[in-house]
Amino acid sequence: MAEGLAVDSPPAARRGARSVVLTGTAVLSAYGRGTGALLSGLRAGQHAFAPVRRFDVSARRVSCAATMPGSPDLRAEVTRAVRDACDEAALPPAERARTALFLAIHADPDIARAPASEQPALGPGAFAAGIAASCGLAQQGIRSYTSACVAASTAIADAAAAIARGQANRVVVAGGYLVDSDQFALFDAGRVLADDGQVRPFSAGRRGLLLGDGVGAVVVESGESARARRAPELALIAGWGRAGDAYHPVKPHPDGYGMARAVTAALQRAGIGAADIGYINAHGSGTGHSDPAETNALRLALGDAAGSVPVSSTKSLHGQTLEASGVVELIVTVLAGSTGMLPVNAGYLGADDSCRLNLVLGSAQAATAEFAMSLNAAFGGANTALIVGLS
Amino acid sequence: MMQLHAAASPDLAALHAAATAAGLTVSSSACWPQTDADREVTPVAGFIESTFSPLVAEVAGRALSGRDRVQQPGTVIGIVLVTALGDVTSAIRVATAVDAGQRVLPLLFFQSVPNAVAGYLAARWHLTGPVACVSGTSAGLAAAALLIADADADEVLLVRADLAVTGGGDRAAAILVTGQAGRE
Repeated sequence: MAEGLAVDSPPAARRGARSVVLTGTAVLSAYGRGTGALLSGLRAGQHAFAPVRRFDVSARRVSCAATMPGSPDLRAEVTRAVRDACDEAALPPAERARTALFLAIHADPDIARAPASEQPALGPGAFAAGIAASCGLAQQGIRSYTSACVAASTAIADAAAAIARGQANRVVVAGGYLVDSDQFALFDAGRVLADDGQVRPFSAGRRGLLLGDGVGAVVVESGESARARRAPELALIAGWGRAGDAYHPVKPHPDGYGMARAVTAALQRAGIGAADIGYINAHGSGTGHSDPAETNALRLALGDAAGSVPVSSTKSLHGQTLEASGVVELIVTVLAGSTGMLPVNAGYLGADDSCRLNLVLGSAQAATAEFAMSLNAAFGGANTALIVGLS
Repeated sequence: MMQLHAAASPDLAALHAAATAAGLTVSSSACWPQTDADREVTPVAGFIESTFSPLVAEVAGRALSGRDRVQQPGTVIGIVLVTALGDVTSAIRVATAVDAGQRVLPLLFFQSVPNAVAGYLAARWHLTGPVACVSGTSAGLAAAALLIADADADEVLLVRADLAVTGGGDRAAAILVTGQAGRE
């Protein structure tokens, strides 16, 4: 493993000179709409999983997910989140019209049941363009990311990289997934859902993941632009990294090869060391293969600090929000750092020797973190690391 | 494998031109269909029911095997997969099974996102760079250029794949790009 890293490590990650900040956030989770609802849920440390009522799960092996009541509409909820994030960033209409949207989304939920003639208009690109138009954002530079559980984190990294190099002053990054019958059936068929109704990341006895509703939006902006318009600076996007495993179509590299390189690149861009990270919001899917791989990645990238930095996977609370994971969990990470409250790694039953980390157990813990990191991984061996500065 | 000239396919010619405009140099390329013999794409083990993933694997393999030099140890190659609708054939299969109250085939889970075939390519060709899937060519090229500029990858394999639902039959193109000499 170490030999592989030595052979394939890229040169030190580069970045543009400009600082990158978050000036607006908005989120929906199974705890409700808004960062306040999410923060309350994180503080309470009670998971949001319950039997699914939104669609028929009687033919499924597993019946639980973390959902809001009813059947919220994805387009409406993403639109609401983007508008709310722009409002928090105090963006006037003229500035919104100059701001591109990067949207992480699987597809328009209607595409698989639409007539073939209508399908071309229901792709993720068209979905993103519709959201941008509804929110008064720019009609140029729109991107849609479909990279599964790293879609939103990749979009945030790309936005930060472009802003740091002066290619853009500001990008709104959003992501959305609302638990639906098709994805639920797929995950159930893949036998990756936890049949005990709870997600137990890094724990002995973990039995898999559970899906969750998630919509998030962040305004990513150059520090210069934010200061010029006296916008709130909620957090610094200090570093970002992405790397692949080159191992398997859907399984992570057991040694955490790609994620370790993503973490290393993020640390290099942030200009900090492993010991400077005060909290890690882990990918922590709660599946058998993924959690040990992530543990190995952290050991490889952080060295001794991997045993001391507090870690939790809040998928144990709000569930796996697929394409939205990167933005929802970045917002969780910012909330944790800015409020001095590290969310619990819920569902823990006992130690697993392959997942030895300093987990936040029992309940949320009070702690300060000048820098915090959010990790995500996906099918394809895709890995991302985002580091936020919170001073 | 026959080296393909960009002019052999309008899609590929457009991709070459767009890559150049994005400040990238194309070192190898391929497309589907490439000749009249390209009628049925070769299946890929583990991927079923849809031509999407085999199509991606085919053009990527052609572009990578058509390189005029051996991949040097330590070269980091990223993957950017561009598709307007993704694997809509698989999505329809899933929806049909769900609506009929049937179980979904487990293998459809593993190919339910475009990342899966990107992971197949990464493992098959030892491509250790970032993996990203986007819906537009210009977005894919911009992302690729930035990955190279920021040293996240030395090269990027960009694959554009679209199934027949978008018109004109299944088609795909792949280019391997580097930064232009003299540019970071």
